[in-house]
Amino acid sequence: MAKMRKRMVALSAVAAMTAAVLAACGGGSDNPPSGGSTGDGEASAKGGTLQYLQHFPFESTDPQRIYYGVELANFRRTLYRSLVAFPFDNDPDVANTPVPDLATDTGTSTEGGKVWSFTLKDGIKWEDGSDITCEDFKYGASRAFADDVLTGGAGFYIKGYLDIPADPKGGSMYKGPYRGDGQELFDKAVTCDGKTITYNFNKPWPDFPLSVASLMATDPYKESIDKGDRSKWVVMSNGPYKVDGGTWDVNKGATFVRNENYDPATDSPDLLRQANPDQINYELYTAPEPILDRLVADAGDDKNAVTAARIPPAYFSQIEGPVADRTATVESPYTNYLVPNQKTLTDPKVRQALAIATNVDGYIKAEGGEKAGVPAESIINPGLPGYTEQEMFSGSNEGDPDAAKALLEEAGVDLPYPIKYTYGQSETQDKTAAILKEGWEKAGFQVTLDPLADTYYDVINQPDKDSDVVWAGWGADWPSAMTVLPPLFDSRQNFATDANGNVTNLGQDYGYYQSDEFESLVDQAATAPDIDTQNDLLTQADTVLANDVAYIPLDTSTFYWLYGSGITNFMTDAASSSYPDLGPIGVTQ
Amino acid sequence: MTTPFLSVRDLKVHFPTPDGIVKATDGLSFTLEKGKTIGIVGESGSGKSVSSSAILGLHRHTNAIVSGEILLDGVDLLKISDEDMRRKRGADVAMIFQDPLSAMHPYYTVGSQIAEAYRVHHDVSRKKAKARAVEMLDRVGIPQPDHRVDDYPHQFSGGMRQRAMIAMALINNPSLLIADEPTTALDVTVQAQILDLLQDLQRDFDAAVIMITHDLGVIAEMADDVLVMYAGRAVEYGAGKEILTHPEMPYTWGLLSSVPDVAGDTSAKLIPIPGNPPSLLTPPPGCAFNPRCTHKDKVPGDLCTTVLPDLVPGVRSETHLKRCHLANPDAIYEQEILPEILPELVEER
Amino acid sequence: MRRAIIGIILLLALSLLTFVLFFSSGVDVTRFACGKNCTPEKRATTEKALGYDKPTVVQWTDFLQGVVVGRDYPDDPELQRESPEIVTHCPAPCFGFSQVNAKTVNSLIAEAAPVSISLAMVAVFLWVLFGVLFGLIAAVRKGTWIDRGIVGATLVVYAFPTFFIGIFLLKYVAIKWQLLPFPQYVTIADGGVGEWFVNLLLPATTLALFYLAGYVRITRAFVLESLSEDYIRTATAKGLAPRKVLFKHALRAALTPLVTMIGLDLASLLGGAIITETVFSYHGLGALALRANVSYDLPVLIGLLLLAGAFVILANIVVDVLYAYIDPRVRLD
Repeated sequence: MAKMRKRMVALSAVAAMTAAVLAACGGGSDNPPSGGSTGDGEASAKGGTLQYLQHFPFESTDPQRIYYGVELANFRRTLYRSLVAFPFDNDPDVANTPVPDLATDTGTSTEGGKVWSFTLKDGIKWEDGSDITCEDFKYGASRAFADDVLTGGAGFYIKGYLDIPADPKGGSMYKGPYRGDGQELFDKAVTCDGKTITYNFNKPWPDFPLSVASLMATDPYKESIDKGDRSKWVVMSNGPYKVDGGTWDVNKGATFVRNENYDPATDSPDLLRQANPDQINYELYTAPEPILDRLVADAGDDKNAVTAARIPPAYFSQIEGPVADRTATVESPYTNYLVPNQKTLTDPKVRQALAIATNVDGYIKAEGGEKAGVPAESIINPGLPGYTEQEMFSGSNEGDPDAAKALLEEAGVDLPYPIKYTYGQSETQDKTAAILKEGWEKAGFQVTLDPLADTYYDVINQPDKDSDVVWAGWGADWPSAMTVLPPLFDSRQNFATDANGNVTNLGQDYGYYQSDEFESLVDQAATAPDIDTQNDLLTQADTVLANDVAYIPLDTSTFYWLYGSGITNFMTDAASSSYPDLGPIGVTQ
Repeated sequence: MTTPFLSVRDLKVHFPTPDGIVKATDGLSFTLEKGKTIGIVGESGSGKSVSSSAILGLHRHTNAIVSGEILLDGVDLLKISDEDMRRKRGADVAMIFQDPLSAMHPYYTVGSQIAEAYRVHHDVSRKKAKARAVEMLDRVGIPQPDHRVDDYPHQFSGGMRQRAMIAMALINNPSLLIADEPTTALDVTVQAQILDLLQDLQRDFDAAVIMITHDLGVIAEMADDVLVMYAGRAVEYGAGKEILTHPEMPYTWGLLSSVPDVAGDTSAKLIPIPGNPPSLLTPPPGCAFNPRCTHKDKVPGDLCTTVLPDLVPGVRSETHLKRCHLANPDAIYEQEILPEILPELVEER
Repeated sequence: MRRAIIGIILLLALSLLTFVLFFSSGVDVTRFACGKNCTPEKRATTEKALGYDKPTVVQWTDFLQGVVVGRDYPDDPELQRESPEIVTHCPAPCFGFSQVNAKTVNSLIAEAAPVSISLAMVAVFLWVLFGVLFGLIAAVRKGTWIDRGIVGATLVVYAFPTFFIGIFLLKYVAIKWQLLPFPQYVTIADGGVGEWFVNLLLPATTLALFYLAGYVRITRAFVLESLSEDYIRTATAKGLAPRKVLFKHALRAALTPLVTMIGLDLASLLGGAIITETVFSYHGLGALALRANVSYDLPVLIGLLLLAGAFVILANIVVDVLYAYIDPRVRLD
């Protein structure tokens, strides 16, 4: 029990560490919520106190250091505004398209997407009443370069794109605002002209606004309050709420109260922030169980409670009658997949046989059924542009051992063919591994299970590991496959090489995958003049991966939420990464 | 006829066990006047301590069945309430135990334990009680009592501990003092001092004393009356001098023979009593002493092994009681026993 | 004095052992801190930021230096010179700086300690009170159904895992029946002793139930043993009331083993507190240890380990001193 909990924390630390992405088609809930309806922009009554029951601690509340999807989604609606933001909407196409927030429009790009400019609105203020200036945005972006002080976050994207030369050791010539070396280089890359901020990139970045809306690396930051790592839990808000006392408590959370210096006239409340509750109480727990116990009981203040803790299978039996009316199921932006080791499974036919023999239906059943996941047909989440059902993985999801066996025989390998499957040990994953093993062995494989107890991703990225297939999970950082395919399969950004040219670390390319064809398509996509072209190229790149069986998709995780009976406008959408969206939410008083 | 100060009549203390009833004391009777000492003698397991514990009511709330009568100053101690009994303990009846080290609480000072005994029965301040404890320690001959009062039992020597126990027992000026083997655990030299002390104090306090011992030497020095117990019953009872000089029961002879140095004579022979004390669960039929008795051939027939003799007056006096079938014990003692244990005495005659 | 020196040497060895074990566990702690999307380059900067790029022994001596003279974070002198506003000074004795929490280990422990101390205080109060009470009753009623009932019931409770009892109490007493408020730590300063105590009742009970059985049994055994001692007969013969005989004389003698047990149990309480604090979402030292373990927060782990070690050593010394106080026979000359 304790072990499982620990594992869940560890998993959420990796799985949840992602940005806002597309949600599943339809976005909303399968079960019609009671109380308020789930319409777009329909206003709930103002007032009341929302309880937010949180089951794991955040890493930081410094905008430049936030990377958890749920934190990005929630804080965007409450504390931290940015140039552009995603509107809440059940239609993923709408919810995945940024609208102006602190900027007057969604930005203009020139030089084929290499230069982006935004102009700030008038009257936008920090919680202390001071104006949000162009310099604040510039300073915020500069903090991405101080990754020796500010660990974590998603600043590496902007750091990689800004047009600043690299030093001989491979790092940037600009060392961030605390050291000051190379400041003049940064001042050239990001410029302020009155209220207009301009970013100069070293290559086209057509999906830059999506990144701005999703992540917080380019959020404004007030230089005068910056104390580096000491500001890790300081919150200087510019949204409709502020943190009472100004500091988040990593163990206890915080109380959000109204920010008097926030002017809704500068915002689009109906699209981004209805800000209905007068107060939001964040309460931190060390595990999901007490939270779900309280939500099932639905007593007192808990009537107005929501959580980002999914209902674990052990609680499914308690979700019945009126409790079931307070639930929602939604496809999440997270995909689980298997990675064949290209160094040991060198024969493509063997990898294909493995893919065909994989019993995805059985895997999902072992996970907890449809409340846990739905079959995936690509590494690209169905909610993302560029998604297509890959032919290699389409068709039956229960595995076809006979066809797989035929392929193995065709490959001329000795049967049974021994393979080792590595996965992160947990009660559930032990069950799924047993199901997968059964399917593979029917096809002529001989499977050794290799459960890893405490640590996972740092083991499977070792190049000398002897696993033949490993389990992994991923979610996009913003609604673009650019944040899926290259981070997982581009050897150039994943492989660390020592002086002798030996690969020492695989990053996220756990299968040691390297393909010139794939990398050339990625390069073309990165420099594509517009998003549509980019998405087409990424679909082609995904097909290359699928045909090489660089991965075997398992399922898209399902989020299964429970909330209090007093909650109105409960909504999960692409803008909130399928977590409960705090934009439209309200409470009955 | 005046009532005696202490009168024990037909006292029985029985312990039911899964195997049957253990008759630790079975019909014991004796009387005691103020200022007098009765010595109760016997081997261990003969029922001496069990009987005296019954006087203090220490068998209450155990599985022991106590019957008979214990009249102290006209009050039957077996009939009074727990609370009345508690009030008498330590105040009217006090007790001195065999091993003063284990009889004192190791974690409390000697003085506080003595003062506690005083405070139970006197509503006085701690300070006053302590002063009284110092006074008593002085009285029993502890040097520097105002310092030693704060010592712990383990800091006292054996003799001093017993002196302290005596101080504790006498602090409330009890009218009856039960001394259960008070010198057994002590050095021989200290034994005499303690006995002297007890005698002095008895005189001063005018207390009645029950001296429980297996040592006839102690009896010779202390006791006015002697009661010899065997297997839970009195086997010989009378004036101390009388019993020590003219014992009529072979068991008493055995006790005398096994005592070293009765009259300070180093040439005395030690003759232990053969065999072991009988089982109290299944005592031998007839006289309980018969299996160990070397004189039963002098009794006609199988009387010794079939009939329990009554406790009846002996040949010399109405107040000298004995429980024995022998017709002429006095003569046997004179001719067979005395020469064995005290040859000089016989020669002198 | 000799004991204090041995204690310090033990703590030094413990701290070195922690460093060595931490880095030899095979877990790539930097990879964990680096998080999702960890490119090899990002990994390298993270390692440097955490100070894990230095040799283990250097990290250890840096740590010791901090304990003696204090440290500044981040310890890069160039950063300290260029941006003094970002420097956190950790005065001696500095037990390190947690990157995860952006706080000194000292302040983290200082924040969490009152919760755990409160929990421990109430739990110890409960289990000693009820353990001794039930133990006494069982001893006095030895052999009756009351005795068997008490010993049996505490054994059954002991057999249940702590988290089970905790979840049960939380689910039923607090949530379903709402007999007590959902426990949340309230300081005495905020809510007064009453609210502080009421909120601690469930977690403390959870923790106490685990220890209760041991105390019932040891109290019962030692009271029974001491009831058969001669000095108990003496006390009764003095005319003391049975209650006074039991509490002042019999129980006093059972105190020595009880104090030893309390001392050693208190020292090892952190283990039980981890589960209890997790179940009840109390942010005490146990929860801090668990979080530090899950997030591979080395400085916090070392700080807590040393604290726990110091506590065990201290508890042993205190028990020895108390021993002498309780039992005059072992009092030193």
